[in-house]
Parts: sequence; C-alpha cells; structure tokens
Amino acid sequence: AGGDGGPPAPAAPGRAQVFATVVDTFLEKLVAAGSYQRFANCYRCFYKLQPEMTRSIYDQFISQLQTSIKEEIQEVKNEGNLEVLFNSLDKIVEEAKNQEEPAWRPSGIPEEDVRSAMVPYLLKHRSYLRKVLKEKEEENRKVAESVLAGRDRIAELQQLIQARKHAWQ
Amino acid sequence: MSVNPMAYEAQFFGFTPQTCMLRVYIAFQDYLFEMMLVVESVILKKLDGFPACKISPFQIRKSTEKFLLFMKEHFDKLFSKMEEVLLQLVLNIPKNVLLPEDKVHEQYPYSKEQFQALQDEIHQLQKQYRAEASAGQALRAELEEQKAVRAELEKILQWFDGLENICREHGTCSFKESFAFLTQNAKKLQDVLKDVEEKSKKIKKHDRLL
Repeated sequence: AGGDGGPPAPAAPGRAQVFATVVDTFLEKLVAAGSYQRFANCYRCFYKLQPEMTRSIYDQFISQLQTSIKEEIQEVKNEGNLEVLFNSLDKIVEEAKNQEEPAWRPSGIPEEDVRSAMVPYLLKHRSYLRKVLKEKEEENRKVAESVLAGRDRIAELQQLIQARKHAWQ
Repeated sequence: MSVNPMAYEAQFFGFTPQTCMLRVYIAFQDYLFEMMLVVESVILKKLDGFPACKISPFQIRKSTEKFLLFMKEHFDKLFSKMEEVLLQLVLNIPKNVLLPEDKVHEQYPYSKEQFQALQDEIHQLQKQYRAEASAGQALRAELEEQKAVRAELEKILQWFDGLENICREHGTCSFKESFAFLTQNAKKLQDVLKDVEEKSKKIKKHDRLL
C-alpha cells in the first residue's frame, strides 16, 4: 500500500464510535470471562448428567445477557439523544482545537456570569442612545436657529412700529 | 481527592455522566442476576425430570453462587475500565472547549468595573437625551409664542399702513402733519390751561390776603 500523499489520514474516531467500541469490548471480555468451561465447571454435577442441556442453557444465558445489555445501551442512547450530542460535541471540540488556553467555565455565581450575557444588549442600547441623542441635538440646533431668527424678526417689527408711531406724532 | 462534579458536561448532555454510568451499571447488574436466576430455575426444572439423580437444589444453588460471584468480579472490573474510558473520552468536555451557548463570555469578558462603567455611560446618555428633549420642547414653545406675537405686530403694522393708504386716497398727505399739528396743539392747549389755572389760583390767593 503506497500513497502519493492522497487522502488525509482518517480522523480520530468520534465519540459515538468510541462509545460503541467500548461497549462491545466490555461485552466481549465479559463473555470471554464467563466461558462455557467456567460455567460447566461450576455446574459440574449437572454437566455430567446432561452435557448437551448444559451447553444449551449456557448459550441461551449468554445470548440473553448480551441482548439485554445491548438493548439497555440503545435505550440510554435514545433517551439522551446521545448520537446527536456526540457528533455535535465532536464538532465543537474540533473547532476549538487551536485554543490552548482553558476556556471559560461557569463561576457558580449567577450575578457574575449574567454580566457577559447582558453586555451585547447594553452595547446595542448604548449605540442606539448615542444615535438618537445626536439626532435630537441636530434637530434642536435647527429649531434654535429658527427661534433666533424669529426674535430678530420680532425686534425688526417692533422697530418699524416705533418708526410709524413717531411719524404720526 | 476531590470529585469532579462534571457540571459543564451536565450542562451539555442534560445529565451528569457519573449518574448515567451508575444507571447503566445497575441495569447491567440486574440483568446478570436475573439471567442467573433463570438459569438456576431452568436447571432445577430439568432436574425434576430426573428423580433418580442425587443432585440437590442446594448444590445447584451453590453452583449458581459460585458462577455468579466469578461473573460479578469480572463484571465489576470490566465495567470500571469501561466507565473510566467513557468518562474521559466520550462523556467529557476538554478544558479548552467552550460550548457555543457560552460564546458571550469569550466575546465580552467584562469585569465588574467595566460593566458598571458601561451602565453609567448609558444612564448618562439617557439623562442627556431627556435634557435635549425638554430643551427642544421649550424651543418649540417659544416658536409658537413668536408666531402669535409676530401676528399681532404685523396686524399693528398693517393698521398703520392702512392709515397711510387712506391719506393717500384722499389726497391729504398733510393729514399726517395736521394730525401731528393737532396733537401738538392739543398738548399746547393743555399746557396753557394749566398755566391759566395756576395764575388764577395765585390771584385768588392775593385777593384773600388783601
């Protein structure tokens, strides 16, 4: 087998894979430990009496045990939605692979932890306030100009009226 | 030796890994015991079909216990190994990993002081805005007042202009002058009257004295 540096090395097995392998290994080794020899040895008298029956009973026992264990594992996986969670966690871990620093963990003090959660909202609020404040200031500047102009006009009118008054005296 | 509560893992999985392992252990163990009981009862039943044999149920029970003890030992050892691997490799979150739902803590690691400063800034901006808003109201109120005042002044001006037009229409451009002359004379008359009054008062005084 020689590669030209083709496909990249297979990624490390995901959590789901490891989980399945570990459970299978457990079962394998358990069955190996509870071997027929051991079984027959324990039930020696019965084995001497009915060897085939002993074998048959043993086979059923082992088979049933394996089935029950596998079913239980499947139930745990279904209840916890583990397949999905394992894959999801694998992805999250993969994305963080360049992070060397320990990541944040809940401090256990809600008041502390909720701060960071609120910051994005506060920042949004602040930028909104800055915007409307600026708009209001601009608006007021324009109105102030009108007010000043109005005052000038009124003064002007008052002068004209004074002039007329004097002309009629 | 402190026990790792695996709280972060529990946050992700919805259960504590150790609890999960315990549940599985108990379930497996129950099955093992169950199966052994079934085996024993099957054997005992079969023995009933052999009344001649000398095997007592007590012996069978002993055999079952022997086998079960052996199985349990291996079971515990194997399960322990399995649990270790699962807790370390599968049901764990590495220390450098941050769950996506906690991203804000990485993006905005604000200290108490920084957070307070941000809140203060926001309060300040709110105060400023309220001030600007009331200033704006005051300005607009004055604008309305000015409108009314201007209207009145313009009315007066118009009235004056009206007078002027009347003069012009009736060709008496000196109406203004005569009007001015009249008001002056009226004033002079008033002054003369005052004079006369004072003089007559003096004369009356003189008369009395005489």
